[in-house]
Amino acid sequence: MNLSGLIEKEHLPAGREDLAEPLVAHSQRERILVAMAKSCSTKGYNATTIADICEPAGVSRATFYELFKDKEECFHAAMEVSLADAMGRILSVYSPDKPWATMVRDAAAEFLDLLASRPAFARMALVEAPSSGDRAFELYASGKRVLQSLLDRGRDDPVEEEAIPSSAGRAALSGAESLIVGQILAGNADRLRELLPDIVYITTVPYLGQEEALRQAREAERTLSSPGG
Amino acid sequence: MERAGVGDRWRPPRGRHRLPPEIVARSQRKRLLEAAVRVVAEKGYGAMTIGDLTKAAGVSRTTFYELFEDKEACFLAAYDNAVEMLVRRVIKAYETQQAWPDRAAAGLAALLETLAEEPALARLSLIDVGRAGPAAQRRYRNAIQRLTPLFDDGRDFAPGGRGLPANTSRMAIGGVTGLIADELVAGRADQLPGLLSDVLFATLVPYIGPDAAAREVERLTR
Repeated sequence: MNLSGLIEKEHLPAGREDLAEPLVAHSQRERILVAMAKSCSTKGYNATTIADICEPAGVSRATFYELFKDKEECFHAAMEVSLADAMGRILSVYSPDKPWATMVRDAAAEFLDLLASRPAFARMALVEAPSSGDRAFELYASGKRVLQSLLDRGRDDPVEEEAIPSSAGRAALSGAESLIVGQILAGNADRLRELLPDIVYITTVPYLGQEEALRQAREAERTLSSPGG
Repeated sequence: MERAGVGDRWRPPRGRHRLPPEIVARSQRKRLLEAAVRVVAEKGYGAMTIGDLTKAAGVSRTTFYELFEDKEACFLAAYDNAVEMLVRRVIKAYETQQAWPDRAAAGLAALLETLAEEPALARLSLIDVGRAGPAAQRRYRNAIQRLTPLFDDGRDFAPGGRGLPANTSRMAIGGVTGLIADELVAGRADQLPGLLSDVLFATLVPYIGPDAAAREVERLTR
């Protein structure tokens, strides 16, 4: 599977617009996007006003409207940045030579670390965008399709199993997502990495079986405690 | 005495035909909750106004504000109502069976059928709740977690159930609701009952593994 080809097919940017870490907003545009994410995570997208964005970003309304047509376009831009980061991180650990389960674990670890380092963006992308019903939803959905195809690859590795429904990868991804969102809503975004073993289990069990999935989860647990892992 | 009684009927006491105020309020509240489900399905939570609600329910604005603080309060009450009904139906169907896979299949079938019959309610419970702000999102998560004990039964049923990851049930529920939400977003609420084998597999696989899950799905959805 060519993951970068897949990302391109979904018309997703990958790592093009990586914001500095820790997130220091240099430009007005970046400051606006950060303010948008923060307001989304505290009061929700619907309730967010242009003033909620301009004030913390330290820009005038006129500046806002020079850069963005409206609130929706700003939201969409913030989503694009988040997705570019996420895809960039996943591409960084992707290699066709890696065993599938190892790749799932590494990708999940990268994804959780990214979310933990940007809690406001995490909340915007995983809580607000899925329910926003506009172009931002499409971005969210296309990002999810890329992750899903990564999981679906487990189907032919090690065995093709016809009795397993084609939705198994999608269901596993939704299960992992719901756990992550629960942690974010509970205000524990900084502890997202702890979910890695559980996420490795749910995403690998449909294809590897319980015994091997549990072994993979235990291995993921070891990477949590190992320094720099 | 008798004549006095007849006389009473000729001069009905004031308010005799009126219902007690608490019954009126209850019926107005019920109409507003039903209106919220319909209006949200038609135009979404964001675009819904108090005017839409009072018009659809046939009550005045004053009445609305006597019963609810704001639009969000009315939406949340409608939401609680909907979830209560769904959870009750699922548990009732679940309890008609004995073995856990059979119970899971019965509960999931009831869930899918109820959502297919009432697509407006389905959208409200699973999709629009995310749009109504942080309070509604927390409400949604709490509601969903009420199904956790039904999934936790899978731990007792599965041979190695105790050794499974701590969040297994939460993730299994997330898988089921995710598959259902995908159908609703795609506008296929009426086809939800056909999703039974997929959601049943997603429910069983973390507890009993893919081979046993596939066999049980085959047996229970034949």
